[in-house]
Amino acid sequence: MNEIAFLPIAAEILLLAGAVLILMAAVTLNLGPRTWAIIAGITLGLSFLVAWVQWWRIDDVGANFHYTGDFLRTPMVVMDYFSVFGGGLVIAAGGIALLGGWRLVGSLEKRGAEYVALVLLAVAGLHIMVISANLILMFIGLETASIALYVVAGFTREQPDSDEAAIKYFLLGSFASALFLYGIALSYAATGSTSIYGPSGILAFFRTNIPEPGVLLIGIALMIVGLGFKVSAAPFHQWAPDVYQGAPGAAVPLMASGVKIAGFAALARVLTVAFGASIADWAQVIAGLAALSVVVGTLFAIAQSDFKRMLAYSGVAHAGFMLTALVAGQSGVPGLWFYLGTYAFQLIGTFIIASIISGAAGGASPLDAYRGLAKRSPVLAGALALLMLAMGGIPLTAGFVGKVGVFAAAIDAGYLWLAIVGLVSAVAGLYFYLRLIVLAYFHDPDPALADVPITAPRSTRLALAVCVSFTLLFGVLPWPLLNLTSEALPLAGLLP
Amino acid sequence: MPSFPAIALLVLLPAIGAVVVALLPKSRRELVLPITTAISMLPLAVALYILWEFSAADGAAFQFSETVTWYEPWGIGWNVGIDGISLLLIVLTAVLFPLSILASASVTKDVKMYMVSMLLLETGLLGVFVSLDLLLFFVFFEMTLVPMYLLIGIWGSENRVYAAVKFFLYTAFGSALLLTAIVALAVMHGNDSGTLSFAFQDLLGLEISSNAQTWLFLGFGVAFAIKVPLFPFHTWLPDAHTEAPTAGSVILAGVLLKLGTYGFVRFNLTLFPEATVRFAPWLAGLAVVGIIYGAAVAIVQPDVKRLVAYSSVSHLGFIVLGTFALTSQGLQGSVIQMVNHGLTTGALFLLIGMIYERRHTRQISEYGGLASVMPLYAGVFLFMAFASIGLPGLNGFIGEFKILLGSYLAFPVMAILAASGVVLAAIYLLWAYERMFTGPVTNSANTGLKDLNAREITILVPIALLIVLLGIYPKPALDRIEPAVENIIERIEEATDHESPDFGRIHDLPAATGEHSP
Repeated sequence: MNEIAFLPIAAEILLLAGAVLILMAAVTLNLGPRTWAIIAGITLGLSFLVAWVQWWRIDDVGANFHYTGDFLRTPMVVMDYFSVFGGGLVIAAGGIALLGGWRLVGSLEKRGAEYVALVLLAVAGLHIMVISANLILMFIGLETASIALYVVAGFTREQPDSDEAAIKYFLLGSFASALFLYGIALSYAATGSTSIYGPSGILAFFRTNIPEPGVLLIGIALMIVGLGFKVSAAPFHQWAPDVYQGAPGAAVPLMASGVKIAGFAALARVLTVAFGASIADWAQVIAGLAALSVVVGTLFAIAQSDFKRMLAYSGVAHAGFMLTALVAGQSGVPGLWFYLGTYAFQLIGTFIIASIISGAAGGASPLDAYRGLAKRSPVLAGALALLMLAMGGIPLTAGFVGKVGVFAAAIDAGYLWLAIVGLVSAVAGLYFYLRLIVLAYFHDPDPALADVPITAPRSTRLALAVCVSFTLLFGVLPWPLLNLTSEALPLAGLLP
Repeated sequence: MPSFPAIALLVLLPAIGAVVVALLPKSRRELVLPITTAISMLPLAVALYILWEFSAADGAAFQFSETVTWYEPWGIGWNVGIDGISLLLIVLTAVLFPLSILASASVTKDVKMYMVSMLLLETGLLGVFVSLDLLLFFVFFEMTLVPMYLLIGIWGSENRVYAAVKFFLYTAFGSALLLTAIVALAVMHGNDSGTLSFAFQDLLGLEISSNAQTWLFLGFGVAFAIKVPLFPFHTWLPDAHTEAPTAGSVILAGVLLKLGTYGFVRFNLTLFPEATVRFAPWLAGLAVVGIIYGAAVAIVQPDVKRLVAYSSVSHLGFIVLGTFALTSQGLQGSVIQMVNHGLTTGALFLLIGMIYERRHTRQISEYGGLASVMPLYAGVFLFMAFASIGLPGLNGFIGEFKILLGSYLAFPVMAILAASGVVLAAIYLLWAYERMFTGPVTNSANTGLKDLNAREITILVPIALLIVLLGIYPKPALDRIEPAVENIIERIEEATDHESPDFGRIHDLPAATGEHSP
């Protein structure tokens, strides 16, 4: 059985080929950054098509494994609905983020090729995290994505903020990666495998043995810490505000949303599938982290005077809401997916607005810059208001449906207290989302800025329109996405 | 029953109208007001049609029902219907909107967005009253929040941002608890029967333990108590009312507050009968505190709009008292009083808005002797004040009388205390009238004021007619309310050992002795 199934890893192949092609061609040809971005866009588009094909394929023949029967008869990669949905989401987020950051790419001139290649590599790494059925491969995906994003964070070298962001992200990020790796090592020590599925995988081990509890628990805890850092859950969130604020504005959407998607996908796969048997041990921890994230994120966000920092802390709170769904184990996965999928687009849309206001390469975005936005640009103000309401979880936006799904999962799993903590924080959170609407609509613009036109390239506007219409569409008619997410469950059994 | 979806039409027409208004060209600003007024007449027409077709004999049943499943796994659907309790509130909403839109002629800032907010608000409010799916109810309940927030925050007076944010956060806090309780109910249904359901009719059949009823009652109750607002959750109301533009105040007092009292009647009483019986004395007590406190604070207000706002706290206290008396008379009184309060307080806010447009002040001390300058205005004001006080022959009387009657049967002491609210109402309103209208003109700025114009008379006449009609001949309204109310009382009596007190008859006396619990 040495056959290699290419379909499960077709997206990675495409993305890596695209990145390599761009880097090689850029050595000799000077086609201008826009060309590179278009090539990258086509690559992402093709990879997204692959996700569709994969979905149909699973409909036909069921979930497929890659490298079946070769490496200790355990699969490295799994193509189930979960991988395909999560992978598609990562690619879509990457594509929209790239489209929204068009202006940054255009301004980079010769270095544009590097930038888009790094974006493709990051997306490939994130995609690997989602589809991997082996903890080591998951770590490789994590590192691929992280290293690419460390570079992206510091890409505008001439700005000290950007350098600071990159260094901070790198130091804390590699520390978290190390913890994750150590967690994998300990769980290997306890179970004898780094693979999840297969006859010698973790699931098979749990079927017949009771592991050494201490070692396993420390391993799981370290993995939670490592991934908790990546998704910026409290108390591992300290890097997020500085990085979101310092990194080039147009690059933040991918860092913020893509990493969250892949991080949560990895967390869901590791916890609910691989260690689903010891849910009683980790669910308490996740519930604690969720409550802490929600409260800490909300409280700190209230105190911010910079929009991007506020978004970073609100992202901590949102990570808490998503962790809330995870306490329900497998049955929380659809709720998690819906929240993650819709939040990713809200976040990208919001950061696109922030980068329109404060410049594609720029860092700081003081809240005062949004004063009287409704007078300066009614469309942008309307989009901002809608996205803020969605993040606050107001009905008829996707944010509301997401919150209902998450809290229903938690209540169903018996965590009523967590749902109440979450909902009360969500209300407190409205305070800072509303503040943007207050500034944009209830105040007059700064006289110095009143007549400064707000411009954005057509592609950026298109990306923003996509994010806003997704938010509204899935708020009013969430059923198609709900159906999709309720199917997008990870494989939970042994080998077929 | 009609062959077309009347309710869907009723709820969606304003929303469609909002889109139409939003698409009007910027250059034709003068068209916005007439077109919006015309659009708001459409839901009124549908509401009148529903009123006409509504079968009073089946007042307890949900009529005009429409059910479309949206998402099977969550048990959510467009599940709507109208019974005797919601019928009049729907008509009230549909009546007040065209009038308050017509009263917004002085709005100049961003008229289009103002009208869009108003129409979306109407969709939300109508949606709340027709929803029988709890999640749908919640969606509409929340949908009213954003337009009202914008109305206060953009078109309000000086301190508007503070008032708008306070309003939003207060009510959103209640909503969070409400949502938790709603989802918990659906999950309980799921554990019981295997499928989640948010449908009111399904949830009525749910067996809920006494302990769970307590918590769920509190989850729903706090949300509604904030909305009503019941003492001590009332502090957002005076700010919001005072700062809101005229139409905002009218809708806020006329309809939005009724979401709370309606929610109590519709959901708390029916879904959690045991908890209702347990909490009834406490809520009635809070209501009485609100009646007296609201009235007492109203007396000393120097700002006439704030005065009417506090009078709402007092009047809404009556409605809650009538509800939790758990008697047929009390509940009937509560439901009809929701409509009455909407009409009279709405009219008072309209009147205050009209004088504010002329003088740009709400301070009572700035006025004086207006009756000689604006006799018609003064007459209408006095008429509305009398209706608000509850003068027999006008609408306020019948509601308060029924409430006091019903609550006397259940809580005699509280009813007696509450009755003092009627006296206090006479004091604060008539004293305000005296200071504003009687005597010689004291402030020279008031000498040249113009009396009501044709547009303003057009706005006030329909309300005055309804006030007289409901005051003299409330029977058609009560006939529609009674079966629905009886149904609720019966349900409570079946589910608990509570017995709703009623009048004895002379020949029942020997048998009844000892049976009647106090």
